[in-house]
Amino acid sequence: MSTSPSDPVTAVAALYFDGRSARAHIVTLGVTDGVLHVEGDDVSRSEPLGALRVSEPMGDAARLISFADGAHLEVRDHAALAALLAATGHRDAAVVRWAFEPRMVVIMLSALLLSVWLIMQYGLPWAARITAPLVPDSAMTVLSERTLEWLDQALTRPTALPAARQQALREALSSVASIDGQPIVHTLLFRSGGQLGANAFALPDGTLIVTDELVALAGADAPVLAVLTHELGHVQQRHGVRMLLQGSATALFMAWYLGDISSLLAGAPAALVQAGYSRDMEREADDFAVKLLRARGQSAGLLAGMLEKLAAAHGEGAASRSGPMGWLSSHPDTAERITRLRSTEFAAD
Amino acid sequence: MDNPFEHAPAEAAGGNPFAAGSPALQREPITFSGRGGEYFGIWIVNLVLTLLTLGIYSAWAKVRRLQYFYRHTTLGGAAFDYHGDPRAILKGRVIGFMLLLAYNVSFQFSMIAGIAVAVALAAVMPVLLMRSLRFRARYSSWRGLRFGFDGGTGGAYSVFLKWPIFTVLTLYLLGPMWHQRMKAYQFNHARFGSAQFAIDAPVGAYYRIYGAAIAVVLLGMAAIGALLGSLADGNRAVFGLAPLLFILLLLFVQPYLSARLQNLVWNHMQLDGHRFESSVSARRLYWIMLTNLIGVIGTLGLFMPFAAIRLARYRLQSVTMLCAGPLDDFIAGQAQDAAATGEEAADLFDVDIAL
Ligand SMILES: [Zn+2]
Repeated sequence: MSTSPSDPVTAVAALYFDGRSARAHIVTLGVTDGVLHVEGDDVSRSEPLGALRVSEPMGDAARLISFADGAHLEVRDHAALAALLAATGHRDAAVVRWAFEPRMVVIMLSALLLSVWLIMQYGLPWAARITAPLVPDSAMTVLSERTLEWLDQALTRPTALPAARQQALREALSSVASIDGQPIVHTLLFRSGGQLGANAFALPDGTLIVTDELVALAGADAPVLAVLTHELGHVQQRHGVRMLLQGSATALFMAWYLGDISSLLAGAPAALVQAGYSRDMEREADDFAVKLLRARGQSAGLLAGMLEKLAAAHGEGAASRSGPMGWLSSHPDTAERITRLRSTEFAAD
Repeated sequence: MDNPFEHAPAEAAGGNPFAAGSPALQREPITFSGRGGEYFGIWIVNLVLTLLTLGIYSAWAKVRRLQYFYRHTTLGGAAFDYHGDPRAILKGRVIGFMLLLAYNVSFQFSMIAGIAVAVALAAVMPVLLMRSLRFRARYSSWRGLRFGFDGGTGGAYSVFLKWPIFTVLTLYLLGPMWHQRMKAYQFNHARFGSAQFAIDAPVGAYYRIYGAAIAVVLLGMAAIGALLGSLADGNRAVFGLAPLLFILLLLFVQPYLSARLQNLVWNHMQLDGHRFESSVSARRLYWIMLTNLIGVIGTLGLFMPFAAIRLARYRLQSVTMLCAGPLDDFIAGQAQDAAATGEEAADLFDVDIAL
C-alpha cells in the first residue's frame, strides 16, 4: 500500500485480534461515513465509530482500537492512523496531549517545583500548626520517652550537679512556668552533656533537659532560667510535634515519590527536616520566653546574654562537633536572634 | 512496503510469526520500546496531577504508567496491554490507606489495640494479596487474550501466612523454601487464555542463591563492624553510621538477588509446552541500578522515569520465549466471560507482588 501525503484518507495497516484466539489477522482499515471497515486475512467487519474506543497515543507503542465484543486492532502505522483520526475529528484527552508536548512538560516541571516549594514553605507548616493540638498526649509521652532513651544511650551521661542546686533550679522554674495564670506542665531533668557540651532541649511532652555544662557556663540561676523559658516556649507552642508532623508528611511524600526506585532513601530527607526548629519557631519561643521573664520582672537581655555565651562556648570549630542535637544546629541564626532580643522592641522596659 | 509492522521480530524469529505452522521451538524475544524522554512527560503530568488532587489522581496515574510499560512490551509482533479500572484502584488505595492509618494510630494508643489490629491485618492480608494477583492477571492481556489467576484461599493462607510464620520461627532458615512455595502458588495457578503456566524451579536452587547473598551480607557486616570499631575510638556516635552502611550493603546485594531469581523463575517456567529463557547478568543489573541511583540522587528524583525505563528494558529484553508451536494457537479460557462480574472489589489492596 502507498501512503503518499496527497492521499487524503489512506487505508491503514493493522493487526486484528478477535478476542477468542491469539491469531493475528493482517488487515487494513478505512473509514467511510462514520463507519470503520476492517478487511483482510479472513476478516471482514464494519463497525460504527461510536462503538469503538481508541487507546491513548504512547510514542512508538501500538495504538489499540477496541470493539465492544472484546476484539481489537493494533496499529503501528502511526502517520496513517493520525491522518485517519484527524479525518474523523477524533481528539485525544488534554492530559494525554500534555505528556507529549515539550512546552507542557516544561510548564508541568515548573509547576511541580513551585508547588513543592509552596507546600514545604507554607502548606506543611500551616497544616502542622492546625493538627498539632490534635495529637493525643499519650502519643507525645511515648515519643518523648523514646527520644530520652535514645539521648541517654547515645549522647548524655548522668548529671554531676549537686541535688540542692537541682532542687533550687526546679523550684525557680516552677515559679516562672505559668502563662495567664495557668501553670505549664513540665519536668526538668539534668544530664552531663558529653559531646553536646553546654546545651538545653525540650521534648514534646514538656520534659526539659539541661546539661551541667550549660549550668556551669551560666554561672547564676537566672540565665539558666532564661534559656529554659525559651525551651518552655517550644513545648507550649508544640514546636516539636509540629516539626515531627512536617517531617512525617515529608517522609510519606518522599516514600511515594521515590517509591519507583527505593523507599530506603526516604528517611534521609525527613531527618534533615527534623534536624532543627524553623526560624519562625525560634522567634515564637523567644517571644514566649521574654513574656515569662517580664512577668517576673526580668529582661530579655538575660536570654540574649546566654545566647552569646553559648555561641562563644561552641565556637565556629566546635559547632560542627556538637552533633545533630547541638544548640547551634538546632537553633540557627543565633546572631540575628541576639540582635533582635537586644533591640528596642524588647529592651523597652 | 511489504511489512508495515516495524517492530515485528520477523528477522529474529526466522520467519513470519503470524503465519500458521511456523517451525517448532522458534525463539521469540521480548522487546521493549519505551524511551526515557517520552516516559518523562507521562511521569511529570502524573506527578503534578497527583499532587494537585492530593493523591486522588494516583489511581489514574498508575493505569497510565502501566499502560505505557505494557504497550511498549512486544512479543511475537504484538503488544501487551493493561485494562485496570482506575476507580477500582482508587477504592483499593483508600481502604489500604485507612487500614495503614488504623495500624499506625492504634499502636500510639495502646499496645493491645495495636496487636489486635496487627492480627486482624495478618488474617485478611492473604486474601487481599490473592485478590491483587487475580486483579493484575485478569486486567493484563496479549493478542486480545486475558491472563488469569485461579489460586484459592487455602493456598493464599499457606504462602502468605503459614510460611512466613514458619520462616520467622526457624530464624529464616526456611526463607528460600517459602520463596519457592510463593512462586509456585503465583505461577502454577496462572493462565494465559486457556493455557496453564507451570513452574518447576527446585528448592535447592533458591537455597544456593540466598546462601550466596547471605554470605556476602555477613562478610559485609563483619567488615562494617571492624571499620566502625577502628574509627570509633571511644566515640559511640560513629556507630550511628552503621544503618547507612548496612543499607549500602543491601543495595550491593539486591541486584544479584533479583537477577538470579528472575533467571531461576523464568528458566523453569512452562506455558502449554512453550518455555522461556532469561539471561539477566547480575553485574550488568548492578551497573544499571548503581547508575540509576546516582542519577536519581543527582537530579533530586527527576531521573526516575529514565531509570525505570532503563531497568525495565534490560530486565524485559533478557527474556526470550522458546515457542513449541505457533503463537496463533492460544485460545481464550472459559473463565474469560466471568471477568467483569463480582470482581469490582478485587483490587482492595493495591499490593504489587514482584515478578
Ligand atoms: Zn529554641
